[in-house]
Amino acid sequence: MDNAFLVSMSRQVALERQLDIVSNNIANLNTAGFKATSAVFSEYMASSARENDFAPADAPVHFVIDRTAYRNFSQGPVQQTGNPLDVAINGDAFLSVQTPAGERFTRAGTLQINAAGQLVTPEGAIVNGDNGPIIFQTTDRSISISADGRISVLEGLTNVESLRGKLRLVTFARPQQLQSEGSNLFSAPAGTAGQPATAAVSVIQGAVEGSNVNGVAEMTRMIEINRTYSMIANLMQTQSDPKNLDTLSALPS
Amino acid sequence: MNALQTAATGMAAQDLHVQVISNNIANMATTGYKRQRAEFADLLYEHVRRIGTQSSDQGNILPVGIDLGSGVKTVGTPRIMTQGSLTQTGNAFDLAITGEGFFKIQLPDGTFSYTRDGSFMLDGTGRMVTPQGYVVQPTITVPQNATGFTVNQQGQVSVIPVGSTTPTTLGQLIITRFINQAGLLSTGDNLFQETPASGQPQDGLGGTNGAGTIQQASLEQSNVDSVTEISDLIAAQRAYEMNAKVVTAADQMLSALIALQR
Repeated sequence: MDNAFLVSMSRQVALERQLDIVSNNIANLNTAGFKATSAVFSEYMASSARENDFAPADAPVHFVIDRTAYRNFSQGPVQQTGNPLDVAINGDAFLSVQTPAGERFTRAGTLQINAAGQLVTPEGAIVNGDNGPIIFQTTDRSISISADGRISVLEGLTNVESLRGKLRLVTFARPQQLQSEGSNLFSAPAGTAGQPATAAVSVIQGAVEGSNVNGVAEMTRMIEINRTYSMIANLMQTQSDPKNLDTLSALPS
Repeated sequence: MNALQTAATGMAAQDLHVQVISNNIANMATTGYKRQRAEFADLLYEHVRRIGTQSSDQGNILPVGIDLGSGVKTVGTPRIMTQGSLTQTGNAFDLAITGEGFFKIQLPDGTFSYTRDGSFMLDGTGRMVTPQGYVVQPTITVPQNATGFTVNQQGQVSVIPVGSTTPTTLGQLIITRFINQAGLLSTGDNLFQETPASGQPQDGLGGTNGAGTIQQASLEQSNVDSVTEISDLIAAQRAYEMNAKVVTAADQMLSALIALQR
């Protein structure tokens, strides 16, 4: 097989992977706290045998490689829900939750209360407060969450606010290093300890941060992938067309 | 090509989303109905190039990697237990709870269910029952020809018996609270059942220990907000279409691939 064929193939493989990324973004168009991913390609120069000493040097072969996929951690749209247990984070911070596998981070603020009165995610991971889990008593009512993440309730018949804890909000200097775990969770690899969020980060009660996937952009990207893929397929077909070889052999000698 | 499967999970999730929305809209006028919301989360990731691995012997670390997601899943359809608005009905047997808590109902099999729908009536023996004929707890029997049926905010039921001018108390309705109301199991007929997720029922009186108070001659409307539901419906439908387009695109790419082979 000649190089043109292999170069085309490297692009095809990269495009397929890019479509995988786009389709995951589109599948998560309505997932709370989801952050869109984009692929980055780079040119990969093959270190194959070549001769540069001739007057017109052999051109090196350039392949395509998908170097990275990066997450766009920009703010998603904040949707009002009116549910007192929904929180949206305004700013660069994550909620800290405790899973059986350890501490994880999420932007999805659709919280619930479990049978033990603890604040949990829809999948049951316990939400971390600054001093351990946030636990509600059976007689608590009117849960209110302040902008800095303080959770207070009215107890029983009284009109005295009692504090139940403060959401642990964590900021990362380099959020790109967070690893996607699925279930709206991110894990922090070793050496990327989070810092407590600054005062600039605020919590909005009764709202949920939607997915930051831009439907229009993803659709155009998908069309582009589709067209490029077909174009390269055509190119490969032309290259392998025996008629071209016939033309070549028919050249006058 | 994973895109086909990924888009299929997206279509399945939006299909479920529309189903939840349609149930909310269908129950817009159901007394005491609490809207449900579909919640989604992303699926597992394939770490093609793992973040933080060494890219050279000199200890360079990959700052970002390639994480290929595999779609979306539904994590739950919790009920949003916010207060519905009250409407005055003028019927003395219509009760509404403002605040938290449920009326306790005994089913024919002896187990208990809980409801926010307080459109009660009397059965042939004068007991207070739901429209399905299930007895409201504790059993309150209204004597024949009694007048002046009154339920106060705490749930105390009193009537004026025949030939009397002073009201007598018949009993006190129970308001039951759960620490996790969203964890109750919906069994239809506006009834909820206790589950391990909801926690133990906390029986109490109206206005005590965080329980709401009772409003007589009113009913609680559903908390479905038509504007929210319709905008969610539009978003779900568009998301479904976009996922379908991804399927088409993946299909076209596969057919371009197949066309290579002659």
